[in-house]
Amino acid sequence: MTPAEREALAAEYALGLLDEAGAVRAARLAETDTGFAASLQAWRARLAEIDDTATAVPAGDALWHRIEQRLGGEVPVVRQDPALTERLRVVWNSLGFWRGAGLAAGAACLALAAGLVVLAARQPAPVLVAALLTDENRVAAIVNIGADGRANLIPLADLPVPSGRVLEVWTLWDRARGPVSVGLSQRAQRLDLKVEDLPKAVPDQLFEITLEPVGGSPTGRPTGPILMKGVTARAL
Amino acid sequence: MHGVSHAAQAALSVEETLRRVAGGDRGALRALYDAEAPRMLGVALRILRRRALAEEAVQDAFVQVWRNAGSFDPARGTGRAFLYAVLRHRALNILRGEARTDLTDAVDHDVASEEEGPEAVVARLSEAGALRRCLDRLDPHRRNAIVLAYAHGLSHGELAGRLGLPLGTVKSWLRRSLLALRECMS
Repeated sequence: MTPAEREALAAEYALGLLDEAGAVRAARLAETDTGFAASLQAWRARLAEIDDTATAVPAGDALWHRIEQRLGGEVPVVRQDPALTERLRVVWNSLGFWRGAGLAAGAACLALAAGLVVLAARQPAPVLVAALLTDENRVAAIVNIGADGRANLIPLADLPVPSGRVLEVWTLWDRARGPVSVGLSQRAQRLDLKVEDLPKAVPDQLFEITLEPVGGSPTGRPTGPILMKGVTARAL
Repeated sequence: MHGVSHAAQAALSVEETLRRVAGGDRGALRALYDAEAPRMLGVALRILRRRALAEEAVQDAFVQVWRNAGSFDPARGTGRAFLYAVLRHRALNILRGEARTDLTDAVDHDVASEEEGPEAVVARLSEAGALRRCLDRLDPHRRNAIVLAYAHGLSHGELAGRLGLPLGTVKSWLRRSLLALRECMS
């Protein structure tokens, strides 16, 4: 991309002209290219005054309560050293890393058995279960959905998460709506999924985990590599 | 003069508030909500035209701000720029990406009737500001296209439809207008 094209892209992104795919690309470029990030920042500053011309509308307490409800007890994510993040991202994206991860396959199968035992012992029986598979078809986590609609994630393989990255759990129950984030975690750990505001889960509903920047995907849609995915099935 | 120093103070306090939010201070998030949510709702309403969707965008923006306040870097823009970038991103995603049928349904008429055209938006900009001065120098069609894109979220395609011009023409035409705007404002 020439400097003129980059400048034009920054302007179009700040103005809001890009389609969804273009906006995702521009958001990524802003993360990795400091020159582009500076152009984008300058364009946002130039145009910001237009936001101030919008008529303020009373927002009210009800909207605030919905925000608080969604946040629950969640705490903000601590920011990590960006240089380290970049090095680890390179490792994460390299093929060699994934070949190495494949060696853990046997262990994951054992962990699956162990996980199912734990699950049977500690929880009311789930009505829906999804086994999330890596791209090498290894089971790496289980999603359980109880009769009360509550959902949790149980990892079965320890995933090394680069610093500055987090695991983000998504579900897709409606293709028109697209994937919705239901959980964030800094490492592979048990996680209650935030599905309270979603329609009740159904069989064949997709769950997946992607690697996202700290704080979760900046776009509200998955942007990072898919680490594992699977669909729900009815538990007998 | 007074306005400038007041704005500078407000910007400072948003940044300080974001720092506290990043430390897990829910009260600071509430303060940010009290100070900025009404304007943010107005910005989202101009783009989405329906109150329920605008509220959804503001709600999502505050959830993102709570999670991401630690990634706010004062060296890379003001606190308000950070807030509105998050909000605009969410609003445009709802508008474009999520292909929601309710967007094509009738808009809220009380909202739509209040919707101002691009000329009204420009008229509300400070006459002393560089943006106003430089937008005023552009040909009215170009000025309106920039304002419609930013304030109302019109895409390249929608602008082409509205102006009755081919898409490629509108793209290159907007790029030249933006370049002229940048040169004038530098």
